[in-house]
Amino acid sequence: MSLYQLQKLIYHVNRDPAQRERYRQDPAAFITSYELTEEESKAALKVDLRTLYSMGVHSLLLRPFSLLHKVSNEDYAKALKESE
Amino acid sequence: MPIVFACAASHAPGMTAWTEAAPKQQADNFLGSYRKLGEMLTASKPDAIVALTVEHWANFFLNSMPSFCIGRAEHYDGPIEEWLRIPKARVPGDAKLGKELIEACLDGGFDPTFSDELLFDHATFLPLHFLNPQMAVPVVPVIINTLTPPMPTARRCFALGQFLGRTLERNQKRVAVIATGGLSHWPGEAKHGKINIPFDKNFLENLIARDFTSLTAYTYDEINAEAGSGGHEIRTWIALAGAVQNWTAELLAYEPVVPWATGCGLVAFHP
Repeated sequence: MSLYQLQKLIYHVNRDPAQRERYRQDPAAFITSYELTEEESKAALKVDLRTLYSMGVHSLLLRPFSLLHKVSNEDYAKALKESE
Repeated sequence: MPIVFACAASHAPGMTAWTEAAPKQQADNFLGSYRKLGEMLTASKPDAIVALTVEHWANFFLNSMPSFCIGRAEHYDGPIEEWLRIPKARVPGDAKLGKELIEACLDGGFDPTFSDELLFDHATFLPLHFLNPQMAVPVVPVIINTLTPPMPTARRCFALGQFLGRTLERNQKRVAVIATGGLSHWPGEAKHGKINIPFDKNFLENLIARDFTSLTAYTYDEINAEAGSGGHEIRTWIALAGAVQNWTAELLAYEPVVPWATGCGLVAFHP
């Protein structure tokens, strides 16, 4: 059920400039507000697209989140291809 | 006043965020047609734009996901995406028209949620950037859940469009109705970049032929398999087909733009 929490974290970072700023200043502190498993915390902090996708994060949360981390189209596609 | 203008348009973020990644001829043809559509909208002198639109986690989350939501705010801020290369702006809302549509729906057998505060992401902001570039015409967003299942059926979207069309015919205002989304695309998915040209062409043929039986028969599973997770946005086009049932659809552009990862369509409707 913590996929819900993981997606909520990304939703907040993507849509809300104030929360995005808090996330950017200290990601590790920011994610403690969400009930994540250890694997989810690790994947979120590493922006591990392959793992986040395989965990079921919605593609329209994940791609905008990756764009905030300046991941190119090519690198994004590569990360996901590896997850197939 | 009757509806004075209607069009349907795709909204791939690459159109502005990475315009130059597309083959120049495709980008010029598509974006040139988009601007032309904007000139047609302006020439129709609308008092308001009703946007049959979608969103990408800009407002709603899985704690509460409406099938339909109508905005009645005085203004809408956007775009939420700082990478979209469209300057942030405040779009005026037509709160009065929004309220009238919500009340008409509740009287007429539809139960949308309503909202006094909505952010616009590229789904609404990008089309407005081309169609309403001065952001001078106030907007009423009608948001359809095409994001996450279960979603309203094609049949229900058509019926809502039909109802809104009839309601707008009785309104005092000159209204432009725009639909935004589609066609086939798999945004952010492992299949990102795939475009199903035969699906798109068939959908456009159904739209132009006013084949409402086919348009209302699309199922979630069919769209998901053939047109991708982003293809669900054709529900807005189907709603528009219901709103302007007797109008003739004209295809202005169809470009399967691989770097934008979307079958991009632009259709103008004529009374």
